[in-house]
Amino acid sequence: MISEAALNPFDVRSALLARHAQHVVLIHFPIALFIAGVVFDFLAQKANWRALANAAYFNIFGAAISALPVVATGLLAWQLQLEGQKLKGLLLMHLVLGCASLTLIWIVWALHARTRGKSRSGLPVFRLAVEALAVTIVGLTAHIGGFLSGVNGPN
Amino acid sequence: MRKTVFIAGVVVAGVISLGGIAPKSKSFAASAQEKTASIAEVKIDNFSFGPVAITVPVGTTVTWTNRDDIPHTVVSTEKVFKSKVLDTDEKFTFTFTKAGEYPYFCSIHPKMTGKVVVQ
Repeated sequence: MISEAALNPFDVRSALLARHAQHVVLIHFPIALFIAGVVFDFLAQKANWRALANAAYFNIFGAAISALPVVATGLLAWQLQLEGQKLKGLLLMHLVLGCASLTLIWIVWALHARTRGKSRSGLPVFRLAVEALAVTIVGLTAHIGGFLSGVNGPN
Repeated sequence: MRKTVFIAGVVVAGVISLGGIAPKSKSFAASAQEKTASIAEVKIDNFSFGPVAITVPVGTTVTWTNRDDIPHTVVSTEKVFKSKVLDTDEKFTFTFTKAGEYPYFCSIHPKMTGKVVVQ
């Protein structure tokens, strides 16, 4: 089942053909971009620093875009590896929280995009609460995902 | 004389009682052997199958039990058997009716592999 090539983390072919391995790799991009974006936005709010606000916008935009293939590969993993069987327990929780994370990331990006190019004062302050909630849900999803993937298991 | 008769009586009683027990224990041992020949267990724990490889006679039913906190699956590499997702303490059984080697893995964690050798 597992060839020597499949055990090589730098083997492109095995990385592309491993049905759900991409999900585990790709997930790091939206997580990092979104958390960095939210931190920048909080700092920009506090310091009223335009450059940080721009950085926050582009990080959150990057997170929103890169979250799409993550959800797609996650759903593919469910359909291909588990043949779409009814999920329960941790797998179901991961799926639900993952969908909630995607929705929240896109809501946060939409709140920023609405006022893009206008004065920063147009940004609603309640977005910070939405961002904090989104970071919590993303973190929880990632925690369960890491638990499920066995990254903490024996090598 | 009475002492000799008493000792002889004890010896005879002992032989008789041993004779009565012996066939019983033999049949118990035989049935236990039959049991081990027809049922085998594999535990799933800490992201591994234990034992990793087992050898069983034809007709044996192997039971996999997930003792891990994480869901796992038991999937034959040659598509002979396939479990649903097993949560903690859930079981999957399969009866091997043909001799051969049956490698398997967990489809959620493909690094987890095991093998059943049926003789």
